[in-house]
Amino acid sequence: MIKVGDKNMPWHQGITVADLLSMLKDPYPYAVVRINERIVARPNFDKTFVPDHAEVFLIPMIAGG
Amino acid sequence: MTEFALEEIKTLNYERPTTDKGYANQTLYVNLSDSEISIKPVTDEMKEVFIGGKGFDLWLLWNAVKETTKWNDPENAVCIASGPLGGTPTYPGSGKSIVTSISPTTGSVIDSNVGGYFGPYLKFSGFDALEIQGKAAGDAVILIDGLSQKVQILKASGLPEYAHEISSLLTDHFGEGKPRSISVVSTGPGAKHTLIGCLNFSWYDSRRERARYKQAGRGGIGTVFADKGIKAVVARWEPVTATTNNPADEAALKEVAKLHSQEIRELDPKQNEMATVGTTHLVDIMNAHDLLPTNNFRYGQHPQGLNVGQEVYRRIFDKGYDGCWMGCTVACSHGIKDFVPFTGPYRGKRVFVDGPEYETIAGCGSNLGIFDPFAVAEMNFYCDTYGLDTISIGTSIAFAMECFEMGLLNENNTGGLELSFGNKVSALELLHQMAKGEGFGKIVGQGIRRMKALFSEEYGADPKIMQDIGMEAKGLEFSEYMTKESLAQQGGYGLALKGPQHDEAWLIFLDMVHNFMPTFEQKAEALHWFPMFRTWFGLCGLCKLPWNDIVPEDNKETPEPAKVMKHVQWYAQYFSAITGRRVGPEALIAMSEAVYNFQRIFNLKMGFGRREHDNIPYRAVGPVTVGEYESRKERYDKQLVEQHKVDINDKSTEEKIAVLRKFREEMYDKLKDAVYKRRGWTNDGIPTLETVKRLHIDFPEVLEVLKAHGAG
Repeated sequence: MIKVGDKNMPWHQGITVADLLSMLKDPYPYAVVRINERIVARPNFDKTFVPDHAEVFLIPMIAGG
Repeated sequence: MTEFALEEIKTLNYERPTTDKGYANQTLYVNLSDSEISIKPVTDEMKEVFIGGKGFDLWLLWNAVKETTKWNDPENAVCIASGPLGGTPTYPGSGKSIVTSISPTTGSVIDSNVGGYFGPYLKFSGFDALEIQGKAAGDAVILIDGLSQKVQILKASGLPEYAHEISSLLTDHFGEGKPRSISVVSTGPGAKHTLIGCLNFSWYDSRRERARYKQAGRGGIGTVFADKGIKAVVARWEPVTATTNNPADEAALKEVAKLHSQEIRELDPKQNEMATVGTTHLVDIMNAHDLLPTNNFRYGQHPQGLNVGQEVYRRIFDKGYDGCWMGCTVACSHGIKDFVPFTGPYRGKRVFVDGPEYETIAGCGSNLGIFDPFAVAEMNFYCDTYGLDTISIGTSIAFAMECFEMGLLNENNTGGLELSFGNKVSALELLHQMAKGEGFGKIVGQGIRRMKALFSEEYGADPKIMQDIGMEAKGLEFSEYMTKESLAQQGGYGLALKGPQHDEAWLIFLDMVHNFMPTFEQKAEALHWFPMFRTWFGLCGLCKLPWNDIVPEDNKETPEPAKVMKHVQWYAQYFSAITGRRVGPEALIAMSEAVYNFQRIFNLKMGFGRREHDNIPYRAVGPVTVGEYESRKERYDKQLVEQHKVDINDKSTEEKIAVLRKFREEMYDKLKDAVYKRRGWTNDGIPTLETVKRLHIDFPEVLEVLKAHGAG
């Protein structure tokens, strides 16, 4: 199971951040997520695996800096 | 124990006014040449037009200097102010000070914002702003004691050289057992021997029982401070409560402050974790997006980038509350306890490092090819205590390193220092040389613009290539973001009033990552709205981080998520609650627009502020070298073919670089046209008479400047 905000999403072997975002059906163009303490940015979404029992935070980064 | 003495030169006893709706309604003037201390009234017109903070600073500075004033002339002033909302302990990020002066590196007006307790303590002691002119005969300390209601100029002897020692010693000395009542502004020996000196503003960390500090880094104001002979300016005040500002509507303030504070407390752990890792999360994000400056902005990514990222510093930072202002729930001012430097005067001794933040990591780390988190921490420590700006240091050393690697410099020029990228020992040695005012470090400490001239004149280096790779504009070194693939951020840097600092506009994500503004008009609109709103924080004594670094969960569903309008509305309520001036979000932009245009005209007064001064080096726009082009060949080839319809068959890399450059430089020029038009400026970048009148800054002296430059 993967926790994303108040939702629990099913985990499977090899699931990537891109897969997870696709499953969430959230149209917002997230560029950054955090898996537990690790930051992952969009260029790495399709090559970063999400571990089982991870907590994923969708970071709505748009104009900080 | 350091033996030191403070001898009274001049004392002004005064009756402290009660702060009323965020204002003390007077400013403090100190002239060190003739030991004058006096008080000036704040008029209603000043409050109406300039609001406070940077606005007050600019007005005081405008009246202090002539168009011929140089940075080291006695009449140049260092102005420091908080703002009407500054000093509120219940609203996050309400402890900022803004400092202005004529910059040693740009020759024009510079502003720099900083945390710490000084600005609020100055105001609660009875002064909305402090203006210091003149030069002291020896070392001077200025004391602003709101509790005893006296201002003193003191002759100092025996004070330590290094800023962290000065802060600590004077906090103990003036605190009389209450160190939290003291804030010290100081610099160090590096500021004296270079042109890129910073100021350190202290705050007292009660849990760790030590004076800590934040930096007003940009543009060499620390150098002006040192040149005036000032060792420190000390403010003394207590207590601070939600009502010390005497807000117009206490209940409304309480309500809006609670909303924002609680939202940050709830959402920061789910978003960027700034209360845990500060701004270090940006390293990971920038590196992944090819935006982390590496080896003098050649590249935006490095395989070792994460070695200096948030996962590493999360483990190195000392845990605990790190708010540089009381009650702030962002609390991002992290530090490293018991750090042991391996070079310099503190080699082998335990010190506390205030930082590093993202800019320091990118400037003194990746941009120098250094990916050792402890070397970055050591650079951070020495920059602060020597009084040096970590951004200008990083960008200047990066330039020298690239010149060295290109063969424009050799070891005969550098005094034997091997300056290849990644050489952390040489980078640190340059800092130590700056502190002593000797060696090649003294040359690097003059900043990039002067290095370019000197390398050309003395060493025969090619001025054209140095113009392309020297990352400065208006004489100020770039802060630490890659802009090659974001035209809007090229404008964010190039069109910024003081020079390339990202505090006016940070549009990389909007423009490049999200592609939310594909047209020139959309980019120009962003380069109007964002600089205006960001300016507003500096008028009021606020930090901008609570606005858009932690955003409401439903922000993504709003029409313009980048503006975070829910927070803008809260800020309008906050301003209304403190000052009693009922305003909405649009009024905040209008406030800034007046001050922003005034600062542009101030540049004009000082001989700058035209289209030609908004140029940027080509390294900020596109690939300068074959190596840069080849490293992102697929990207650039695709752009030439698909975007610019160029047949690249049979073209060498050098030819492709030349073609791409022509297109990109044309686009930057068109961007200038669009932004000037949106801002109500002439095509030469000067505010029109109509704009000046609309903003009610058509004072006779402003009109004179416009007329003198053919725009009146």
